[in-house]
Amino acid sequence: MALPQSIVDYLIENAQNSGTAAPLDGEDLFKSGVLDSFALVDFVTLLEEHCVIKVPDADINPANFQTIDAIEAYVTAHRG
Amino acid sequence: MSAFINGSGSYLPEGIVTNEEIAARLGVDPEQIFKSSGIRRRRWAPSGTTTSSLAAAALRLAVEDADLNIDQIDYLLFGTMTPDRLIPGSAPAIQSALGLREVPCLDIRAACCNALYALDLARALVLTGSATNVAVCLAEVQSPFLDLSNEAGTLSMLFGDGAAALIVSNQPSVSASADHPNLEIIDILLATNGHYVDDLGIRCPGTEFGTASTHPAAEHLADYAPRMNGQSVILQASRRMVSAGRSLLERNQLTAKDVRWLVPHQANANLLAQVARGLELAQPECEVVSVLEDLGNTSSASMGIALDSLRRTKKIKPDDYLLLPAFAAGFTWGAALCRGL
Repeated sequence: MALPQSIVDYLIENAQNSGTAAPLDGEDLFKSGVLDSFALVDFVTLLEEHCVIKVPDADINPANFQTIDAIEAYVTAHRG
Repeated sequence: MSAFINGSGSYLPEGIVTNEEIAARLGVDPEQIFKSSGIRRRRWAPSGTTTSSLAAAALRLAVEDADLNIDQIDYLLFGTMTPDRLIPGSAPAIQSALGLREVPCLDIRAACCNALYALDLARALVLTGSATNVAVCLAEVQSPFLDLSNEAGTLSMLFGDGAAALIVSNQPSVSASADHPNLEIIDILLATNGHYVDDLGIRCPGTEFGTASTHPAAEHLADYAPRMNGQSVILQASRRMVSAGRSLLERNQLTAKDVRWLVPHQANANLLAQVARGLELAQPECEVVSVLEDLGNTSSASMGIALDSLRRTKKIKPDDYLLLPAFAAGFTWGAALCRGL
């Protein structure tokens, strides 16, 4: 599945703000500076709103959102 | 029946340590410290300063602020992560230093949630009639425990020393006025998830990882120093402080728009901003109280210092709601809801 455009736009904007190129699907978003711990909290809120999923507190873990591929897999697994 | 915060006080060591003074030693850039934490300086106590001595100084001011005599204190709670000694607790040292009557004295070990746990217990004590005026002391002398090497720079740059004290009573103080009101403690919510026990804290000395008598401390220095999984702490703190605040407001038939003052545990300016955003507070109507820039993270003491600084501005008006969220090692977290009278 493809992520909603609003999610992709958020990641691209963060990449621009941190001076890096738009992230590739398998790229580590934390190593490239697209996400950090604070940004991840906002990102998860955005995911919940735009993908209509509920991310439990226990899942707020960088490993679940390390790459675009990982995010897509997470959203697919948690969509009702 | 209700419980009231009738007095507050805080005491800070005189020594100011700026980012510029510690940056080179910690291997970090002074401006980067500010950017990542909101902290420009912190207080560090002189070598040999006991935590109880800071707490006693703060309590003296709080008792005066509540217009009480020291003999009217009939219970003392002390929250700290940096006690004078391993055993006994440090509350007795405060009792002795101030010449309190031979009242119950108890240390609390809920780290940066110590203020919330102490207020919860103090409230229960006065509501059940077990006590009339409870002294809540909160203090840290963290500077001697900090690893000032480059490896620990991003953690050690955050912490400061300081103390606060609050007086919780079963009646509002008669000396309260419109521009210096008592605070009624409306409700407190607390929660814990011990799954994260290793993400924030200090392992040794203890029965799980040993003591200097069971292994050479020099070979296990990391176990004796503060450790933090920063990502886990930030992610969980951001969510838990917000969810606790929301739940507390909801069960009291209030919304974020009713909150006039947010007085959070002072951990990191970015975290405070995130919590304020997550709670969807009505800004600028709701002000976030922060003493981080000048004092750093004073752990147990931080919320008490922030509350005392707010009370002393005389800006709290009757019927103002205050929301006090915190997050701590454990993990444990929660929030308190107070109202100006």
